[in-house]
Amino acid sequence: MGLIKEPVNVDFSTKSEPWTDKELSDFRKIMDTIKAKNAVIKKRKITRTKKELQH
Amino acid sequence: MKIKQRNGLDFVIVKLTNSIENTSTKEVFDTVIVKLAITDIKQLKKVDWRFNWHKELKDKSKNVYKLTTLNNPSIIQGLISLEDKTDHIFMHLIESAKFNIGKSKVYYGVPGNLVAHACKFSMDMGYHGFLAFDAKSALIKHYIQSLDATHFRGLRMFIETKAAIKLISQYFKT
Repeated sequence: MGLIKEPVNVDFSTKSEPWTDKELSDFRKIMDTIKAKNAVIKKRKITRTKKELQH
Repeated sequence: MKIKQRNGLDFVIVKLTNSIENTSTKEVFDTVIVKLAITDIKQLKKVDWRFNWHKELKDKSKNVYKLTTLNNPSIIQGLISLEDKTDHIFMHLIESAKFNIGKSKVYYGVPGNLVAHACKFSMDMGYHGFLAFDAKSALIKHYIQSLDATHFRGLRMFIETKAAIKLISQYFKT
């Protein structure tokens, strides 16, 4: 994989404003959903690897 | 990847491999990310930057990092300001040096380096790589395309675990 090149005519810069409590709460719900989903995927991978090692 | 640590997860120096590319010569350089302390304030001349980095450095809730090439640590290529939100990292500011802005920019890849570092910081803190930030409306699609960022709502965006791992693996070679 190469480095991430921004387009010539585009300059990435960010000045974030504070997120509201509601936004943070909703964001945390999304994070929890993604974390739970990733945990299931990780568990499946581990189980599959263990099974493969047993055979 | 070489990381020097001080006080647990308080990163002082992080080295990144094949990180920025000279727009003219196409030569690629390794870079270094260094955490700035308030004592480093003289390194940041206000006229050189659009954002108020002195204010960021004085704010104890924020961590400011500079990006330089490995061979030329005195020239700052870009800056980033991060805050630990206890379950994710919040990116307050990110800015490339003046000579890395516009059609005549000297190096490609400065923001990508800095964002990858922010994701690594999030991962190391146990936040699964989550990084939250705001984007200018015109840049939202570019952040989605180049960083695999997720558009949350309005100008709010975030980078989740998979995208963070992808970014980290691009720069932090083991």
